[in-house]
Amino acid sequence: MRQPSVIARRVAVASVSLAVAAGAAACGPKDNDAKGSGGDSTPHKGGTLTVLNSNPQEDFDPARLYTSGGGNVPSLVFRTLTTRNRENGAAGAKVVPDLATDTGRPNKDATVWTYTLKKGLKYEDGTAITSADIKYGIERSFAPELSGGAPYLRDWLVGAADYQGPYKDKKGLSAIETPDSRTIVFHLNKPEGEFPYLATQTQFTPVPQGKDTGTKYEQHPISSGPYKVVSNQNDGETLVLERNKYWSTATDSERKAYPDKIDVKSGLDSSVINQRLSSSQGADATAVTTDTNLGPAELAKVTGDKELAARVGTGHFGYTNYIAFNPTVAPFNNVKVRQAISYAVDRSSVVNAAGGSSLAEAATTFLPNQKSFGYDPYDLFPAGASGNAAKAKELLKEAGYPKGITVTLTHSNDKDFETSPEIATAIQDALKKAGITVKLQGLEINDYKDKIHSVKTEPGFFLAHWGADWPSGGPFLAPIFDGRQIVKDGANFNTGLLNDKSVNAEIDAINKLTNLDEAAKRWGALDKKIGEQALTVPLFHPVYKRLVGKDIKNVVISDWTGVLDISQVAVK
Amino acid sequence: MSEALVASQAAGTDVSVPAASGARQFWRRLRAQRAALVAAAVVALLVLVALAAPLLTAIEGQDPFTYHPSLIDSARGGVPTGSFGGITGDHWLGVEPQTGRDLFARLVYGARVSLGVALGATVVQVLIGVVVGVAAALGSRWVDQLLSRLTEIIVAMPLMIMSLALLAIVPSSFPRPLLVALVIGLIAWGNTAKIVRAQTLTLKQLDYVSAARLSGWGTWRIARRELLPGLAAPVITYAALLVPMNITVEAALSFLGVGVKPPTPSWGQMLTAADVWYQAAPQYLLLPAGALFVTVLSLTVLGDGIRTALDPRAASRLRIGTGRKGEAKADASTKGASGKDAGTKGDVRTEGATTKSTNSKEATS
Repeated sequence: MRQPSVIARRVAVASVSLAVAAGAAACGPKDNDAKGSGGDSTPHKGGTLTVLNSNPQEDFDPARLYTSGGGNVPSLVFRTLTTRNRENGAAGAKVVPDLATDTGRPNKDATVWTYTLKKGLKYEDGTAITSADIKYGIERSFAPELSGGAPYLRDWLVGAADYQGPYKDKKGLSAIETPDSRTIVFHLNKPEGEFPYLATQTQFTPVPQGKDTGTKYEQHPISSGPYKVVSNQNDGETLVLERNKYWSTATDSERKAYPDKIDVKSGLDSSVINQRLSSSQGADATAVTTDTNLGPAELAKVTGDKELAARVGTGHFGYTNYIAFNPTVAPFNNVKVRQAISYAVDRSSVVNAAGGSSLAEAATTFLPNQKSFGYDPYDLFPAGASGNAAKAKELLKEAGYPKGITVTLTHSNDKDFETSPEIATAIQDALKKAGITVKLQGLEINDYKDKIHSVKTEPGFFLAHWGADWPSGGPFLAPIFDGRQIVKDGANFNTGLLNDKSVNAEIDAINKLTNLDEAAKRWGALDKKIGEQALTVPLFHPVYKRLVGKDIKNVVISDWTGVLDISQVAVK
Repeated sequence: MSEALVASQAAGTDVSVPAASGARQFWRRLRAQRAALVAAAVVALLVLVALAAPLLTAIEGQDPFTYHPSLIDSARGGVPTGSFGGITGDHWLGVEPQTGRDLFARLVYGARVSLGVALGATVVQVLIGVVVGVAAALGSRWVDQLLSRLTEIIVAMPLMIMSLALLAIVPSSFPRPLLVALVIGLIAWGNTAKIVRAQTLTLKQLDYVSAARLSGWGTWRIARRELLPGLAAPVITYAALLVPMNITVEAALSFLGVGVKPPTPSWGQMLTAADVWYQAAPQYLLLPAGALFVTVLSLTVLGDGIRTALDPRAASRLRIGTGRKGEAKADASTKGASGKDAGTKGDVRTEGATTKSTNSKEATS
């Protein structure tokens, strides 16, 4: 069982992974990467890359980071057992070896995973990286003072549920074995075919025990990647990274590391970042952002300018915005009412409210529209582009509401174009045509999160969203639809309160699969099956558009993060 | 506002409290100020537009809530298609980005919220201010102490922060425009109370009030029959200046997302949605900003004009030169018309408060 506090952090994944983990989106996968840079488009080594961000990198301890695929800036310093494939589009949603020689060797039922480290791996001080250091790095992430990472390790490792970290418990975790300095073995309490995805997170970074300074470690974490931290000021507001001379492309085929120096400046307003990137003056010509998208109004301006439009990168991150129902609240206990709303929704006006067709794609599936998630393009309650009011009215009549109904839609007052009033009013307008009068209940963002994630206060009809910890159906469907993950006291994410034996059994069966392609197909089929219950109305999948400075080269955007991969960028 | 200032303002005012022909004289003085007249016309037009919003939008054939996805370019962030923000014969001021809702309809319906909330808040402020001010001035020493300290606490409270806090905790089922009006009214009545108290204290000393007291009138009757008429001028003047202030507060609260809730249009809310669009769709920002500017400016000019008309002496102290000629003419013509006051302006001043105040009582009772 997940601990409430741990689960609460999961909420952060959705939004944080865009900012922290993911990077900046720049030139799209299908676009030519090198436009705006003039003649020579081949990337070269050297120069300084500037990163303009709004959120400071407050956590820089590998134990505390909650990332998808190891993060963007953190991934320059921290290498992990496996990592995300640094390629454009769908190929980038694959998991590939990093410190390890392969993505992991499972036993028959995927409860034991064995990794072997590559030869010649070194830290920034020239000492060798050992498997014991990876074990230690994972153990310290269990220390209460270094909490913040994803909850999976605590859930999956044998005997880890109450482990308090190496500072209090010197014996360490018996679930992780290191028979020799290059081998590490993980014992899980249940089959988890997706363990290689988990091994991309920064908790799998080696930390030499002798250099561990506890909570101060983030000031100068020992680098295993191409760059080391030279300075970290104001809790991650300004970071300077320079080359780690002991890192070598011989053991790392993923990170390109073209620039000599990385200058991260954060705490900037998002409109300032976009303005600076578009004017590209001085050092801003070789600047990118790893956390700031173009908003609808900025996009309208940028698309009118050819030079700027060529510098916009497009990316897709596994993420779904949807309407959630609580089937214990009337009238949503009636499946016909839920179906009626599914039919009545006008996805084109919702997409417009979210920023238009360039920033959002209409969704009819709960899983993101990507192959790695096992996307099966079903549309169980076809509403067309602008809603099927007639069918909705018919269903309402069958449900016993021939004169229509009045319902309350709960949303947040945040200006995020996700659960915000703009989306809520678009839905209100669409449902009106089907005889459904929607009253809006706007809540302050923290109040809203508390209410929707508590079984006791959960409203009947509200806006929600979910993002993936890694590009697969597992972390997308299990927390939302696995009946055993309903938390009665504390943060609950199974908002549809679904506890269906066949769904639970299928989740367990898929977790046993170590063939990830086969697993993806099964997740897609399961998504469709769950969709029949109309517990959610998928609305849209966001699209990320980001600007890069005019001298930026080699922009790579994977479907894993949906944003530009900073380890691939060149400035010369 | 310091009490001394309030007192001097009040003293200045009571000199000019209209005579038997007060109302007529007031109109003449007001009419003599061209700026105030223009402002009054604009305010009247705005009120008319707000009242006739359903009619006007019916003539246009639109409403403020319907989405028009065909009028915006979804691929470009939802910017209105067509020139000048999508202005056509169907959409007189264009449409809103991202939704395609009609901007003219939203603007005129927004006027209802802006003016309605501001007027409602002003009524609340004036009611509480007059009751507290008069009670403090007429009550015992303890009552005065208590009410005056309470008033000072209210004056010291930061309006925006208190409103933000109050609006955040009240459940959203409460009618929002009414709530916003109440919150502004309940927090910002302090200055009205102070002015009323000072003015009442001055009036209390006058002979006709003493006479009423000696003839055995009760406090309540004295307050109603003798004092309230004398309070009318400063209260009306101050209320006229409160309205534009309340409009800006409502706009600010809606701008911050705690005021009127969507989809109900309000100018402040339109501003907050439009601020990022200033480059891509400038008219979206300029329309509510312009409406707010014109409304606040005209209400302020009108308020100033009312004060001048009620208190020409205060005005002549404030504005030397411009406009005085007109006022003097207005005064002269009043005198000519009424034929009662043969004296000069100086005479009016020296005649003092007694006559005027008594007259004001007569005029109202």
